[in-house]
This record gives sequence, C-alpha cells and structure tokens, in this order.
Amino acid sequence: MKRFKRVIAAGVAVVCALPLVASAQGWKPTRPVEVVVHTGPGGGSDTLARAVAQMIEKEKLVPVRLQVVNKTGGNGSVAAAYLAEKKGDVNTIGFFTGVWLANPLIAAEAKVTLKDLTPVTRLVLEPALIAVKTDAPFKTLKDYIDAAKAAPGTLKQSGGSISSRDNVVRQLLQKATGAQWAFISFPGGGERISALLGGHVNMMVIEPQEAGEHIRAGNMRVLAQVAGARLPGFPNVPLLKEAGYDVPVVPQVRGVVAPPGIPKENLDYWEDVFRKFTRTASWKKYLEDNQFEDGYQNSAELLKFVDTFTGQMTEILKDAGVKVVR
Amino acid sequence: MDIFGGLWNGFAVALAPINLWWCFVGCFLGTVVGIMPGLGPPATIAMLLPLTFQMAPASAMIMLAGIYYGAKYGGSTTSILLNVPGESASVVTCLDGYQMARKGRAGAALGIAAIASFFAGTVGVLGLMLVAPPLAKFALSFSSPEYFALMVLGLAMVVLLGGRSMLKALLAMLVGLWIATMGTDLFSSTSRFTFGNMEMLDGIDFVVVAIGIFALGEVLGNMETRESAQILPVPKGLRNLLPTMQDMKDCRFAFLNGSVVGFVIGVLPGAGSTIASFISYGIEKAVSKRSDQFGTGIIEGVAAPEGANNSETGGALVPLLTLGIPGSGTTAILLGALVLWGFKPGPLLIQEHPDLFWGLVASMYVGNIMLLVLNLPLVPLFAQLLRLPVHVLYPLIFGIAIVGVYTVSSSLFDLAMLMAFGLLGYLMRKLDYPAAPLVLGLVLGDAMERALRQSLMMSQGDLGILVSRPISAVMLAFAVLLLLVPMFGVLNRWRLQAIESEE
Amino acid sequence: MEEKSNKTGDFWSGLVLAGLGVYIVIEARRWDYLAPDGPGAGFFPLWYGVVMIFLSLALVFSSVKRASSSADTPIDWGRAGRALASWFALVVCVALLKLLGFVLSYALFTFFVVTVMYGRPIKSALVIALSSAAGFYLIFPTALSVQLPVGIFGF
Repeated sequence: MKRFKRVIAAGVAVVCALPLVASAQGWKPTRPVEVVVHTGPGGGSDTLARAVAQMIEKEKLVPVRLQVVNKTGGNGSVAAAYLAEKKGDVNTIGFFTGVWLANPLIAAEAKVTLKDLTPVTRLVLEPALIAVKTDAPFKTLKDYIDAAKAAPGTLKQSGGSISSRDNVVRQLLQKATGAQWAFISFPGGGERISALLGGHVNMMVIEPQEAGEHIRAGNMRVLAQVAGARLPGFPNVPLLKEAGYDVPVVPQVRGVVAPPGIPKENLDYWEDVFRKFTRTASWKKYLEDNQFEDGYQNSAELLKFVDTFTGQMTEILKDAGVKVVR
Repeated sequence: MDIFGGLWNGFAVALAPINLWWCFVGCFLGTVVGIMPGLGPPATIAMLLPLTFQMAPASAMIMLAGIYYGAKYGGSTTSILLNVPGESASVVTCLDGYQMARKGRAGAALGIAAIASFFAGTVGVLGLMLVAPPLAKFALSFSSPEYFALMVLGLAMVVLLGGRSMLKALLAMLVGLWIATMGTDLFSSTSRFTFGNMEMLDGIDFVVVAIGIFALGEVLGNMETRESAQILPVPKGLRNLLPTMQDMKDCRFAFLNGSVVGFVIGVLPGAGSTIASFISYGIEKAVSKRSDQFGTGIIEGVAAPEGANNSETGGALVPLLTLGIPGSGTTAILLGALVLWGFKPGPLLIQEHPDLFWGLVASMYVGNIMLLVLNLPLVPLFAQLLRLPVHVLYPLIFGIAIVGVYTVSSSLFDLAMLMAFGLLGYLMRKLDYPAAPLVLGLVLGDAMERALRQSLMMSQGDLGILVSRPISAVMLAFAVLLLLVPMFGVLNRWRLQAIESEE
Repeated sequence: MEEKSNKTGDFWSGLVLAGLGVYIVIEARRWDYLAPDGPGAGFFPLWYGVVMIFLSLALVFSSVKRASSSADTPIDWGRAGRALASWFALVVCVALLKLLGFVLSYALFTFFVVTVMYGRPIKSALVIALSSAAGFYLIFPTALSVQLPVGIFGF
C-alpha cells in the first residue's frame, strides 16, 4: 500500500511539473499565423512576405502555416490599424516598411504609429542609386552638385511623393551642399524612368533592380550609391560618403511588427525565429539576388531605430515644407 | 534577327501543343476574370505567379498574357448585358452596349465586341511586332506637357458626351473631378477631402464608383415599378443574335479607330485602356453621321471602345519589352514575373531572348483567334441570361456588385462607398444628369492635374511649355477645335433666333 | 425609361451643387495655392470649385426662368419610394455583413426584394433567396477560394 501511495505521489508530482516544463520551452503557435501586408498581391511588401514565409516554412522554423493577408488602403494605415485592433492576438504579425513610419507624421488620419505596435525585427535596408542619362554632362556626383549650385532650381529630379526616400536624399544633399534643384513627382516607377530616359529630367534616385538593365544597355550612368556599404553589383560606384557628401544615410526599411499587448514569450518566440532566419543561407542568397542590405536588428534595437528615424524624418519633412502633424 | 525569321520561330514556339494548352487556359481564365466586376488581371496574374515557377518561362508568359487580353474580351459581357462594367475600361461599352441590349440587340452587341476586339488585338500585335522600337523612342519624347494636352483632349470629349443638357454634363464632370481629387496629394502629401478617414487617404477606387453609378443606379431605377415583363428583351432570330453585314459595314471606321487609338495610347506609360476607350469613343462620335444618336444604342459606339481596349494590350507591351518600362499595373506585374523567371527586361531583352519575345508575339495572334472562337458561340448562351425574370435577376446583380467590390479590397468601407454611389447613380438618373461625364472627370481629372503640375514644375512656372512643344501644341489645338465645333452649332442657333426675332 | 427634365429637380440639385462648390472652395483655400515648385494642392480644387459654383447657379437660374411646360413631369414619389426602399434594404444587407456573413444577409435581402418589392409568394421567395445565396457560396468561397464576409455563424 505504501508503495502504491508513493507511485501516486510521484505521478502527481510529474503531472504538476509538466506545465513548468512546457512553459520553460516557451510559446509555440498552434494555429496558422496571419501575416499582414499593406500592398495588394504582387506589391513589394506582399512579394517579400510571401518569399519570407516560403523560406521559413522550408527551413522548418515554424510549425504552422504562415498565411499572407492583404489589407490595402490608406497608404498603409489600414494595415497598421488592423494590427492595432488585434491587441494581444498571438497569431498575427505584419510586415512594415518606411511608409508606416512616415505616414503618421504627415497624415492626421493615420493614427497608428509603429510605437503603438510591437516592433519585432528589422530585416532589410533598401539601397538606392543616383542615376543620370548616359549622355548627360555629369560624370560624378560632384559635377551634378556643382551644376545645381551654378543654376539653382533649373536641374530636375524625378521621384515619388514628397515624403519618399527620393526626396529625402535630395533634401539631405541640398542642406549639406547649399545646392538647389527641382523635384517632380511621378506616381509610378515606369513614368519616372521614362522621364529620365526621355531627357525631361536630369537625375533620379533609382532602385538597383530597376536600374540594372538600363545600365547594362548603356542608357544610364550611376553617380553614387545610397547605402551603408558598396553593393556587390556596383563595386566601382562610390558611396555618398566616399563621394564627399557626409549625409546621414536615412534608409528605406522593411521589417516585422506585431500587435500591441502581446505576452513577452510570444515576442521572444518571433524574435528568435527571425534571428535564426536571418542567419540561413537562403535568406542571404535572397538578399544578394534582390540587392538588399542586411538590416537585421532585434526588437529593442528596432525600437530605438524608430525613434531616431522618426526624429530625422520630422526634420527633413519640415525642411521640405511639408506640414508635420505629429 | 529579321522579323519573318523571328516570327517563324515564334510560331514554332506558340503552336507547340503545351503552349497552345496554356494559351487556352490563360484566355479562358482571362475571360472569366473580365466578366467578374472588380476582379481584374493584375490581381489574378499576381496570384497565379507562384504556380508559374513549375512551367517553362515561355509557356508561363503566354498564359499570363492570355489572361491579360482575355480579360478585355470578357469585360464587355456584363457591360452589355447588365450595365455592370467588368473592368474599368469597359465603362464606355456600357454606354451604347447596354442600350443595344435594351433594344433586343444584345447578341449583335456582344458579337461586334468580340469581332472588334479580335481585329484590334491583331493590329496591336502587328504594331508590337513591326514598330515597337521606333515607337518606344517616340513614347519617351512624351512627357507631362503632352500628357496634359492628351487629358484636355479627353475632357473635351465631354462636350461630345453632353447629351441634352450641356450644363448638367459639365456639372457631372466637375463632380467627377472632385472625386478624383479625394485622397493624398502626390506632390505635397496633403490630405484632400478625406473627411478624417484613413481609408480615404488613397482615394476612392474607380471600380467602386463605376459599379455603383452604372449598375446599382440602373437597377434601382428599374425597381421603381413592379414590372413583370422582362426588361431586357431576349434577342430573337439570327439577325439580333449576331452582327449583320450592315453592322459590319457601319463599323469599318470604328475598327480602324479603335485599333490605332488603343495601340498608340497603350504605348504611353501611365495612360491606360480607360482613357483609350474614351478617346476612341469620342473620335467615333465626332466623325459619325449619326453622332447625336450615340448613347442610344449605336453599334459603332461599342466597336470603337472595345477595339481600343484590346489593341491597348499590344501597345502596353511595347515599352515593357523594348525598354523594360511597365506602362500599367498589369505590365508592372508582368515585369516582376519576368524578373522572377530570371529574365532581365530592358532594351536588350529582344536581342538576348528572341524566342521569348517572338514566342509571345506569335501566341498573341493565336490567342486572339482562340478568344474569338471562344466568345462568339458563347454569345447566344450569355444572351439567354436575359431570360431570367427581373425579381431573380436584380438581386443577383446586387449580389455580384457586392462580391465584385469585396474581392478587390475586402473592405467594408468600399462597400459603404458602393452604396453611396449607387444612390448617387439613381439620383442622377432621376434628375437627368448624364453619368459618362462624371466617369470621364474621375478618370482624367487626376491625371490631368498631375500632368499640369509636373509641366509647370519642369518649366519653373512657365505656361508656355504647353504650347512650345510641338506634340502638346497640336493636341491642345485639336481640343480647342473640338470644343469650338458645338459652339458653332450654338452660335448658329442664336444667330437664327436673333434673325427670327427681328422679323 | 425616359427621364423628363423637371424644374424643381433642377432647382434643388443646382442649389446642392452650388453648396458643394462653396465647400470645395473653402477647403481649397486651406491648402497652398502656389507651392515653391509649382501649383499647390489648393490650385486645382479652387478652380473647379469656382466653375462649379457658377455653372450650378446658372442651372438654378435657368430652372427658375423656364416657365413650366408640358415636358415637365412631376416626381412620382410612389415610384421613387420603391427605389429608395430597395436601396435602403441593400444598405441594411451590407450593414449586417459583419454580423451575419454574406450568405445570410444576402439571402435575407433577396427574400425581402422578391416578396415585398415584387409581391411573389413567400415560398418562391424563399426558394429564390436560398438558391441564389447558395450559388454565391458555391462559386466564391468554395470553388474559387475567394473569401466572402463571414459572420458570427462562421459562414
């Protein structure tokens, strides 16, 4: 009888210990995870999220399916608001881009900032190139800046909206050198490129993938790169700093974010997954193929980055004459 | 590689059984997607991209291109039968196509749409094949001042779409301009007319407005009475089931008009098939002998925009394949697809991958034939849809409208907008405000404002840039002429009235 | 269905549009008319707002001046009422989408239209409503895997 009681006692002790063992292993998702993106199918965020989801599933880093959900609208604010509403939901994450950080600064309607959500990981920094038409008289960035200084306002740059990275680069260069040139917004990449190739503008800030073929065909020349380090595809092109213009590199970022109010073990889990993920060979190859820079930062570093970036953007936007609402 | 050698090889690729199959799949899917209001080629192509990794790139490209122009064929079906635009460019087809259906000539309308699409699609491919490189260079010389002139020309078309009351047509167009302005201003990032709503930051989707005003407005209007008879007569007899010889004769110019206008406008990055179909419709109306009957069911009014719609696909592929510049949403995704498959779209694509280019061109010929064969026999089938009694058909139309809008953005906000525009469409019918000018204002207003501001930024405030460049000067002169033509009519009437009152 | 012009309709719609024009101009004044690089956000809206005011007032004016003629048909409120009731039913259907899901809301709406608007017997209304809703369900979420709004009942 005594032995029997001892067995029972042991059994009870084991059963009581099980939850402790389980929680020591941490949280794991048991249902498919929703991955929220702010573009439609085929858009930048959507493509990246699907590629990342595929790679994570192949590397078996997560035991469940990652399902990409498109929440378009409001220049990204609809997706941000959607995540904010899912407070405490452990089965949802989202992919953010720089637009999520900049939009709340200029649009009063975009109420959700990245600090209202839980930043998880910064993944990618997107570099850019400063390009001109091949038959332009500018061989180096200095040529262009000098020409701009000599005739303020006559040179023209094609780019996206006034709060886009294209204009950020322009504002920083203008402030650092005192040169001045016009910025003309075009809604699509195709239109910006044809404006440059058609000779209607003098310069543009272009992404490496977009520019690749035009450079190869001899239609475009690259004066400098906007990046932290020289891209493998452009070993002979100087960085802004090397070209003599020490302006802060305000990068275009992409990363992962989660709804507010999630438990710490949930955040730890995702941080861990993405830390492992960014070390895999397939991710490194993806970065190289797409000419991205590895911008890995964990949650705490990302939070600090958000503050720095927001501060920089606020100043830049004010210089550009855009009304800042937050 | 010379053209005929290239084309010969291209047909060898396109007529391979596996590629014929994929061409068929693409065309079929495209037709279905075109019929569904809301769902369009960009989203469909993007969703099918992952599946294409299993296929040879040439086959994948053939299939995706099939979806692209197949959708243009399908879009006319719901426009003609239900006044529901299947995709944004099909709005113009609603104008005369639906009226033809109401007169019992739905079959003829559907048939001419298919035939015009075939003709124009073929011309588009011919253009792509023969004049692509020089045309691409021409397209590069087009910039904001020229775009502005093009938009002004388009808006001048409102004069031709005016109908009974010019005042109301202009007011409708201004409301369209207002709706176009809603959203975030590209140049200054200011929010305009967003009423504090974040969903309004990127404006109102054109599809929502078009379906609301056309489809919902129409059905609500018809629901005023409890008509038990079928509101749309089923076409009787072969005469009304397919276009007649007389119809084909009437549409001779429309075929040419649609093909050329669509192709040329397709080549310009940023100008799309909606603008192409409006301008081609306007030109057709301007030169037609029965111009004042447009809007009541004139077959050329269907043939011209439908043709423009289709040859635009050939045109849009020109900058994509010769320069690597995407001209529209769909071609942008095709560009992404090419990159994913390892191609580098750019000026060197044709030289380095002739089999891809020529295979695609040849498959477009094949695809156009396939679509004609697919669509013509379906005409009597679709026409039978009209047999449904109204109390079954109308709720179905409402359901299709809701589903169509929801599949685009999964947004309840968009559905609320749909309701609002449905009410607006109904009120406009009651108060006799024409809908076409509003749509025209909505489509062009955005582009026109952008082009004007870009032009003035380029010239540092000098308005002269608009007339000092030859192409824009010519188009603006044309637009002014267009605006003056009815003025002559009005002035003449005043003159006659003055003479009469003196006697 | 021919629409005849209506004096009262023109008058009131003209006034509403004039009001819209005034609103547009007021808003446009809040934004920059001229930005340093070119026209600002307020440029275009100001102009089309002004034109809208002029044209709509012209419409109001012409409707007042125009004597009532035989071409004017008074608004048939009975007919308009039917149309507006159908519209309202559709709005209710959309409002219920989140709660009841598409299938149920649409079925309810169709039922309402067939019985109330078209006076069909209840049985055939039920049949039509359920089969249409089922048709949508079969085509969209099932065959095409396109998500339709799902309510608290899970479908």
